[in-house]
Amino acid sequence: MKKLIILILIFGVGHTVYGQTYNNFDTDSTTTTEPFNPSKTQFMIRGYGHTGLNTMSNDDETESSYVGSAFAPIFLFKHSDKLLFEAELEFVLEGNELEVGLEYADVMYVLNKNMTVRAGKFLLPFGTFMERLHPAWINRLPTTPLGYGHDGIAPSSGIGVELRGAFDLGGPSLNYAVYSTNGPRLKDGSEEPEEAGMLMFQNFEDNNNSKAFGGRIGLLPFADSSTEIGFSTYSTSKVGNRDSEYENVGAFLYALDFSFVKQIPALGGFVDIKGQYNNSDIDDATFIEIHEEDGEEEEEEYTFGNNSNSFYAQLSYRPTMAESDFMKKLEFVGRYSNFNAPEGAEWEEQSEQYAFGLNYWLTWRSVIKIAYQTTDSVGGHDGGGITNGFYIHWAIGF
Amino acid sequence: MKTIYKIFIAGIVLLFSGALIVSCSSTKDKYTAVTDVEEEFKIEKSGAQMWGEACNRCHLAPSPADYNDTDWETISLHMRIRANLTEKEITKIEAFLKSAN
Repeated sequence: MKKLIILILIFGVGHTVYGQTYNNFDTDSTTTTEPFNPSKTQFMIRGYGHTGLNTMSNDDETESSYVGSAFAPIFLFKHSDKLLFEAELEFVLEGNELEVGLEYADVMYVLNKNMTVRAGKFLLPFGTFMERLHPAWINRLPTTPLGYGHDGIAPSSGIGVELRGAFDLGGPSLNYAVYSTNGPRLKDGSEEPEEAGMLMFQNFEDNNNSKAFGGRIGLLPFADSSTEIGFSTYSTSKVGNRDSEYENVGAFLYALDFSFVKQIPALGGFVDIKGQYNNSDIDDATFIEIHEEDGEEEEEEYTFGNNSNSFYAQLSYRPTMAESDFMKKLEFVGRYSNFNAPEGAEWEEQSEQYAFGLNYWLTWRSVIKIAYQTTDSVGGHDGGGITNGFYIHWAIGF
Repeated sequence: MKTIYKIFIAGIVLLFSGALIVSCSSTKDKYTAVTDVEEEFKIEKSGAQMWGEACNRCHLAPSPADYNDTDWETISLHMRIRANLTEKEITKIEAFLKSAN
């Protein structure tokens, strides 16, 4: 063993001495003066986060709480000039627990100048709010309009495949997206009777063999790209579980969206108008309601016209042409939204909401938002009434 | 609902077919700037102008200095797809961002 160690030492020392003695550094790559060539492959982490204080009050009580930081890293892996992988994780502190979600994870390939294919879990181009405007550093208010998010009627993401692209029409331009996903599944009331008839868009494994098909066409009719009008649809012939009585229940959703963004010298700043109308039409089905009478449970069948809609319109103004640097960084926002859930459903609701905000832009991707919001509801999970909210949020994109 | 679904599927197929035919029949693979002759008749928007218009449609226009050239290539490819921008728009915007950072 000793001989072996001595041999290894002699070899190691000898190799080092030889290397130091005869190295003329001609082949040493670190001495070259060639310019640095960036690789075409690149990995980036982008994303956003936000935190703040929410104060909510209704007729009965007032609740105030700092809301935990939400952190949403976006991973971008550029494989080549045409191939890109994107994924977004979302970490949210909610109800004393850390919730982790995979917002999207998809691979995209540019087929030609007018067409790109995407596959995986991607944000659905159903209108523009969920696909383009919902991140906290982009959304001008700390809250989302009625009809989005939990219990919302607008689908936000799906697992499937999509073709999208845009055409330059010599001034105006047209963009499109068509996709197929697993589609939504119907809540039949067996687990949550109060939500019977709702669509659940988190359908990681298809509950039937019927796929959902959807698409959006967006037209920018003016050469300055200030205005965009979009029409989206989303349809499936089956939303119920395979071999269940709800299997053949179909659904058809559509949305209309509008956007106008332009710096108007006469007004001294940027005017941003956004709006979207969503409509959801699901085939009628019969659900079971359980009553308790005289200590005994009784089942009662009921049905309703399963049609829901929601709408929002938002106006914001940034005085970017003001003389004061402070004023240039301000933004004034107002938003109206409403939501109508089907009459006769356990989740029947008619809500109207007004929100007003004042934003201060620290940079182009970091904003402090102060907002007041009042919601007037009839029905819904909380039983209705007027809820007022005051919010101070800080959002940052990176 | 079945009828609506069938009409809808037919519409999607037509839209997809149309987009496929138009995009695949294009003779140009890459966006090229206008020639001098074309310039006489048409004044094209600059990359800076497109940056101001396209980016502001969703969020405030980014500062070119916040990322290096390689980063802008990745971000441009990502935004081209996410925001459904035309090749002409993203080519010019990317060139502007790389020249101004």
